Amino acid sequence: MSAQAQPSVPLLAMTCVHKRFGGVRALRGADLEVTRPGVVHALLGQNGCGKSTLLGVLSGQLRPDEGTLAIDGRAVTFHSPVSALAHGVAMVAQETAVAPDLTVAENVLLGRLAGRRAGVNWKQTRRLAVAALEQIGADYDPDSLVRTLRPDQRQMVEIARALSTNAKILVLDEPTSSLSDDEVEGLFAAIRRVTANGVSVIFVSHRLTEVFAISDEITVMRDGLTVATGNAGDYGPSGAVAAMVGEVDLSVSREIYEESRDENAALSVRHLSSPGCLDDVSLDVGDGEVVGLAGLVGSGRSELLEAVFGVRPAQAERVAVAGAELARRSPRASIRRGLGFLPPDRKTQGLVLGMSVRHNLAMTATCGRGRLRAPRRRDEEAFCAAIAEKVNIVAPLESLAGTLSGGNQQKVAIGKWLVHAPKVLLLDEPTRGVDVAAKADIHQHLRDAAAQGMALLISSSENDELLALCDRILVMYRGRVVASLAADEATEARLASLTGGHT
Amino acid sequence: MSTDALAAARPAQKGPAARLWASSRPFRPVLLVDIVLFVGLSVTQDGFFKWMNMQNILSSVSVLWIVAMAMTFVLISGGFDLSVGAIAGLCSVFLAKVLEGSMPGVPALILTILLGGVVGALANGIFIGVFRLSVFVVTLASMTALSGVVLVWSQTQSIYVTAPIVSQIAVNSYLGLQAPIWIMLGVFVVFLYVQNRTYFGRDLYATGGSFQAARLAGIRTTLTIVMVYAISGAAAGLAGAIGVGRVGAATPQVDGSVALQAIAAVLLGGTSLIGGSGGVGGTVFGVLFIGILQNGLNMAGVESSWQYIVTGVILLLAVLGDRLGRVEGGLGGRIKRLFRRGGGTPDATCAVDPMED
Repeated sequence: MSAQAQPSVPLLAMTCVHKRFGGVRALRGADLEVTRPGVVHALLGQNGCGKSTLLGVLSGQLRPDEGTLAIDGRAVTFHSPVSALAHGVAMVAQETAVAPDLTVAENVLLGRLAGRRAGVNWKQTRRLAVAALEQIGADYDPDSLVRTLRPDQRQMVEIARALSTNAKILVLDEPTSSLSDDEVEGLFAAIRRVTANGVSVIFVSHRLTEVFAISDEITVMRDGLTVATGNAGDYGPSGAVAAMVGEVDLSVSREIYEESRDENAALSVRHLSSPGCLDDVSLDVGDGEVVGLAGLVGSGRSELLEAVFGVRPAQAERVAVAGAELARRSPRASIRRGLGFLPPDRKTQGLVLGMSVRHNLAMTATCGRGRLRAPRRRDEEAFCAAIAEKVNIVAPLESLAGTLSGGNQQKVAIGKWLVHAPKVLLLDEPTRGVDVAAKADIHQHLRDAAAQGMALLISSSENDELLALCDRILVMYRGRVVASLAADEATEARLASLTGGHT
Repeated sequence: MSTDALAAARPAQKGPAARLWASSRPFRPVLLVDIVLFVGLSVTQDGFFKWMNMQNILSSVSVLWIVAMAMTFVLISGGFDLSVGAIAGLCSVFLAKVLEGSMPGVPALILTILLGGVVGALANGIFIGVFRLSVFVVTLASMTALSGVVLVWSQTQSIYVTAPIVSQIAVNSYLGLQAPIWIMLGVFVVFLYVQNRTYFGRDLYATGGSFQAARLAGIRTTLTIVMVYAISGAAAGLAGAIGVGRVGAATPQVDGSVALQAIAAVLLGGTSLIGGSGGVGGTVFGVLFIGILQNGLNMAGVESSWQYIVTGVILLLAVLGDRLGRVEGGLGGRIKRLFRRGGGTPDATCAVDPMED
């Protein structure tokens, strides 16, 4: 990465790329330039700004309507992902695409197993796979099944697969969105090894601290256009955010909750255990209090919320909402008692993508009505419009939820719990995969809901989110609550060491 | 998505006619085929476009129609039901037996429909909804077992029925229309109402669209599924009763093709096998397609076996057209692009959802 090695011709240059889907202009002249081999280039922008479309074009999955693509100064056209690979561009998608029942080696060399005529040469295959994994510092057993790996390890397998094609440009679409902090460190170590070998990495993430920890160059997109590009150091997080959002107020106004616990807390959990994931958890959340759950992936944060809501079998001495004990443990019974639950995956759990925004918003509010009764459309339109306005959903009520951008989808998933406000709302990763502006929006709505007396229990893998939002943070480690920190005594560093199992 | 792009994409406030047209999108292919077939037969076959023949077409598909309406609900909920033919057979034997035992017609008919519902709920609904067993296995098993029950119970003999109720629901005419047509209309209106105007209808779409999301939103997904199979069984019971009337007897041989024909009609009508979309409106045209085709081929003196070949091919084309139309810019855009590129490879690899960033 020395200055003299810098060639005048960029490694990758996408110029003035246009792409339209029906009436939607996803790209309106976007540029992307990776200057040289061995750099980390961050691609930033809010949800719906055209990042994924641009990456789709780069990886050969979409064909641009206009625009040029040049690698090492030579113009190329990609007809398919295969031809992109042939030109050295390999992409790892946001959702892992591994075959869980094949071995690590088979997954790394998927479709390219060694040996042709006399069947598969397993020895050779294993050796190639190990070599590819070594490039990123992963020492997994090539014969173990991918099913047995953790999600972050599966991602490493995918990166190894991409590298084993001799890629010059590795595209990682939100690789950190489902990783915990220490897993992100592992990923970054891998990225540093890869770039040291002269491969350039294009990296998409919504977490700005990460972006500036690893990137050499950045490109910022907004509304299908490239609005800023250059050295990461010239921008810094605030400069990048300014470019991404234009003028938006990102501060969250809040009042620190004052400790005034009474006997009948909004949510009271005593001695809750679930085999293999929760070990004797007790906690209280007061009216209007925002309590965070910090912890690594697998620490039991998500499982705790599921167990409280009644989707995960668990034994407890007592789970009570506003003093009333929950006897029957099912989502429906919990909702009746005044609990709400925002699941972590909006696409499969939070929303029915094939139904309209209105039907999704009205779903929980009307789940107690007689099933042969007729919904009153006018009423429903009125209260759904009010909610949409309140949480700032920028989409018509009658459009299908699946056609919305990630941020809007998440607002619908949250909005449906605000129609008939529950006493306690459990939220798992309330802002996963949404852009900064939508995130600030969502944080503000949550604070507002708390100000009106709703108790919130929020699980998040992003500690800075919990620090910004919560009155109190409970730290979980291996299924137990190991610490409880008030807002003013919690810091990034303290959370980092506590979640890692140190005290 | 930027606000101005959104404003451009937002349709203007639609009137009822425009909404109806928009909702016909999934079944436009079969609607087109129906119209072509209908017009073609009217022009070429003298006897086709006659009032009596129209009635014959409708009443000839009455059993299929009723079964297919309920099957639409089953498909929307994310399943299918292979056992409807067997349940219909069971109910027809039941009806014949109780009428033989000189039970009055109306209670006998009601009991028959109830029996179908109970059998559907117990033999299919409980296993699929509560125990989450595979739809295919459960309905195949109940189809097989119930077919056996029919054989045993009827002692493999046709049971002839002379009670007036069966001809009242299957043969007689009222106000110039044959009874099955009235029943078909009634069934359609009820199903359309339940589908579009009740919370149960929404539960169907939610459960089929995403079982998890529906359950977490407080919807009784298990009950919904049990009810769907109960409805399917009850519809089969009614269809079985009409079948008895049309033949004049309850036959011991279960018609195994009814379920598959009904599923074909539902799929033709634009309801997806994945669940969560479609509706009984489209099923009407799927069933009509089969009815018109049978009638037309008969009239033209073509061997009736051809109807299966044509139905199969059209079904495949309709589903294929739907898939291609979904890729980008609708079917029209799809075909246009094919021509522009000189038949270039379709980019079915379009894994990136354009709206997802």
